[in-house]
Amino acid sequence: MWLRRAELLMLVGTLFFPGSASMSVLAQKSDTGPGAQRFMEYCAGCHGADGRGGDKAPSLVAPSNPARRSDSELFRIVHDGTRGGMPPFAQIGEANITAVLQYVRRLAGNAPETGAPADAAVTGDIDAGRTLYFGKAQCSNCHLMHGQGGFIARNLTNYGRGRVADVILEAITNPDNPLVPSSQLVIVTTNRGHKITGVLRNEDAFTLALQTEDGRFHLLARTDVTDVHYTERSLMPRDYSQRLTSSELNDIVSFLIVESRSSRPAEPAGR
Amino acid sequence: MTSRQSIDWRLSSVRRWMSSACLLLAMGAGVGHGQALGQTHSAVQHATAADDSNGLINVQQSDLLQKQAAENWVSYNGDYSGTRHSRLTQISPANAGRLTAQWVFHPRVVSPLEVTPVVVAGIMFITSANDAYALDAKTGKVLWHHTRAVSPDLVGDAGQHHNRGVAILGTRIYMETDNAHLLCLDARSGHLIWETPFATGNRNYGATSAPLIVKDKVVVGVSGGDAGVRGFLAAFDAETGEEKWRFWTIPGPGEKGNESWPGDSYLHGGGTTWMPGTYDPELNTLYWGTGNPAPDYNGSVRPGDDLYTSCLLALDPDSGTLKWHFQFSPHDLYDYDAVQTPIVVDAKFKGQPRKLIVTANRNGFLYILDRTNGKFLFAKAFLSTQNWAKAIDENGRPISAGLIPTEKGVRVCPANGGATNWYSPSYDPATQMFYFRSFEACATIQSEPKPFEEGHAYYATGLRAADETGKAYINAFNLNTLDFSWRDLQIGRNKGWGGLMSTATGLIAYGDDADNFVVLDAHTGRPLWHFHVGQLIHASPMAYAINGKQYFAIAAGSDVFSFALP
Repeated sequence: MWLRRAELLMLVGTLFFPGSASMSVLAQKSDTGPGAQRFMEYCAGCHGADGRGGDKAPSLVAPSNPARRSDSELFRIVHDGTRGGMPPFAQIGEANITAVLQYVRRLAGNAPETGAPADAAVTGDIDAGRTLYFGKAQCSNCHLMHGQGGFIARNLTNYGRGRVADVILEAITNPDNPLVPSSQLVIVTTNRGHKITGVLRNEDAFTLALQTEDGRFHLLARTDVTDVHYTERSLMPRDYSQRLTSSELNDIVSFLIVESRSSRPAEPAGR
Repeated sequence: MTSRQSIDWRLSSVRRWMSSACLLLAMGAGVGHGQALGQTHSAVQHATAADDSNGLINVQQSDLLQKQAAENWVSYNGDYSGTRHSRLTQISPANAGRLTAQWVFHPRVVSPLEVTPVVVAGIMFITSANDAYALDAKTGKVLWHHTRAVSPDLVGDAGQHHNRGVAILGTRIYMETDNAHLLCLDARSGHLIWETPFATGNRNYGATSAPLIVKDKVVVGVSGGDAGVRGFLAAFDAETGEEKWRFWTIPGPGEKGNESWPGDSYLHGGGTTWMPGTYDPELNTLYWGTGNPAPDYNGSVRPGDDLYTSCLLALDPDSGTLKWHFQFSPHDLYDYDAVQTPIVVDAKFKGQPRKLIVTANRNGFLYILDRTNGKFLFAKAFLSTQNWAKAIDENGRPISAGLIPTEKGVRVCPANGGATNWYSPSYDPATQMFYFRSFEACATIQSEPKPFEEGHAYYATGLRAADETGKAYINAFNLNTLDFSWRDLQIGRNKGWGGLMSTATGLIAYGDDADNFVVLDAHTGRPLWHFHVGQLIHASPMAYAINGKQYFAIAAGSDVFSFALP
């Protein structure tokens, strides 16, 4: 039997998200911590809601941007502003600045630099980690590593750079905390009753761009859908702590850290 | 097992099943590709036929081989011929007056956009400097953004970070960076798959073009011809990024044509390849124009014809071997790059069906060549003030009027900016007319010999003389009569840089000299509609369709605009 794609998606939606309640379409940001809130309040106007920059301010998620700077340096920039035109934000208080910076690092995929010296020793087996990454653990089904792997989830080529092992392990075994918008599973019900499960690549009051795991972009008008359900989970499997031994997990973590050291700088510095 | 684990298990099982199903769908997409030509719907849409809209990117060779663009515009020029002629018919002379803006997209830019968008399955890909974007072509909303800082300290055009767009094959897109790296990105995510620096050894190299896919290779050219680089074309394996061949446009020691390049001057001879070429699959021949020799205005250091500058090259795309060349401006002294798209046209020439190349040149002449062998067939001056050549001889070689730039300067027409330039021409097989923008101006060109120096331009002139005020035209050249059917004088304060396209309903779309995006009647040149974009149009338009709705898109200033019927 050959199912139409939409039927397949409907099946998935019915299996795993039965009775999902209709939710308001606008106020559904899973990441509602203080860092995210303050970011939207003070930073998004210039740096963009996704941190990718705009006319007035640069991207904060270009792989090299926050990663190159220490926590104290970033703190000073936000606190005092820059000669380049960024205003000071001392008035929001040190706690809020710290929360915003943590959020920015998360957006950009960098853990606090202080935790992981560039040459920090790793304790796992790198080769075993590679084998797991591209094999049994199925990381490469979704994640790119040096050009090899999938596309639906984040590129992990630079992921391990500046990250401490514990942070990476936590991200693998507890992937929904924090829930990153770019990997949050969203279920859209169309006017025809089809359920489409994927991740949002864009949304506003009028349109939704949902990408399914086959890579397809579903470009929908709000008027085409009856329900948008923002789940509390990401695309990432939640059961890695059961599927893999702690030794295997450590191998993968070590692999991610070491691989990121061999990656070329994300931005070319001349030729 | 907890309920959560149970759900996870079920989800992963179904995911695996879905992945298999998707793979089968993707494989199924290949079915029927051979029939794509001439059909309303391309193979790219077959791939998504299981549902009622687009969004799945998987470009096949048959999509790239489509003759005349339709729903999808798969390359800089839309198809291999370079005609920029769209088969779409929804917008016609009868309804063009009702076109309305659909959306505007504003990327982060550092200079005027020169990109022609590529559209596949309803997804638009554009570049702005070193950034690439995937947009919902229906709304202009961003689906992904690949961001990368511009390179510091570049010389020439690359230093302005112009970029003309992407090439696409399968689920990958390819772009050149300002510092001449070829990037392969996953078209579904914008993630970098591989990156290959392709021009080293002279930091004056840059890149501004869009790559061209031919079979399993990505062909790229370089810029820096006014800055003393050695031009080349190079082809890379689309899968791995491995270099497959390289054709140097300036012959090295011991090679034919090296007599123009004494000592190590071949290393700085110019002849860059900064616009995408065209391709004839039946003849298996790649056609690519080359730029001016360097130094631009001082010919004393490069005696002879200066091969292969200011040429059209015909190459074997599998090996990079030169099949033939035609030099429009031997020993060029006026910056006459041969960069207008060499259009592949099958038409009658003087009553006989011929395989032709039609192109207008910066030197002020329109050329028709036999593309099977490079034989010169016809030339016509399209500039009333042309003074650098007395005539074109029977072999297509100009008879020089002997104007040599000196320290004091010599007045040359056309100006160094060219009688036409890289802005795209178009050919409509129905009207059998070749449409292009021309610019009538003269310039006083001075020569002040200087040695090559990395980090600096290599015009060899104390001053680059400003062009005099000139007149711009949109021209319709009739291949039947071998004469102009109409010429439309452009009104506006700007020296326009907007290229052209045509459609199967007899429309020409282009950016005029007063910041308007304009649709003309292709038969008469009569304006049918315009929209003031409020910015200099420095790019060439394209057309696409989503679920039967036709759009025009154009990059203007720092924005991309899309238009359609209400």
